[in-house]
Amino acid sequence: MQQRTFMAKEAELEKQWYVVDAAGQRLGRLASQVASILRGKHKPTYTPHIDNGDFVIIVNADKVVLTGNKLKDKIYYRHSQYPGGLKAVPAGDLLAKHPVKLVELAVWGMLPHNALGRRQFRKLKAYAGPEHPHAAQQPIPLAVEGR
Amino acid sequence: MPRAKGGYVARRRHNKILKLAKGYWGRKSKLFRPANQQVMKSLMYAYRDRRNKKRDFRRLWITRISAACRLNEISYSRFMYGLKNAGVQINRKVLAELAVSDAKAFSELVEVAKKSIA
Repeated sequence: MQQRTFMAKEAELEKQWYVVDAAGQRLGRLASQVASILRGKHKPTYTPHIDNGDFVIIVNADKVVLTGNKLKDKIYYRHSQYPGGLKAVPAGDLLAKHPVKLVELAVWGMLPHNALGRRQFRKLKAYAGPEHPHAAQQPIPLAVEGR
Repeated sequence: MPRAKGGYVARRRHNKILKLAKGYWGRKSKLFRPANQQVMKSLMYAYRDRRNKKRDFRRLWITRISAACRLNEISYSRFMYGLKNAGVQINRKVLAELAVSDAKAFSELVEVAKKSIA
């Protein structure tokens, strides 16, 4: 045993792949668990300044659930930077047109907004259908804790 | 009295500061005034962060212990409560080190904690 607190090294990391089925899952609950895995906070070797997280594949992103009136009332805003360029998209429309974008936005919002967070975000692979092209990585199915 | 030309003392004082400012960005490592300002600020940060370091590490250890606890199906708070009940006095730094380097010993500690609150 050493006196110094363990710090993971970038070169020695082994990254696992997980696959999550989003069907019937509530968006925020799903995203918070996925974000935690992307950051590596589920490992005892968690190191804040290093990307020690695992890869996560989300399938069935189009079957994610929003409770209450959020399909109608939750609105995603963005601005094109032109005058009058504010766009407002209700979550329901986004889910119908770009379900992957909806899930990605939810996870992105739960990651640190810095260079490390952007790297961790790139380990998220979301797909609308039940298929994903990452069979070669032998992803482990991950059960999402429902509450 | 003979005339004393300046420069010696000031140069020594400036060099002392510029030495501390090595590696700073842009003018802050080259010119005395910006360097002096930055050194004053940096020493303040260093003083503050020597204190914050203790909190930062405690937070990190807790995060790691929590992750290891989840692998052993117990929550962090239940685990710490159980250890306290069992009279185990291992601190968080060592617990975190065990979680990384000796998962088996950590699992045994979890068993101790579980038994004491069962």
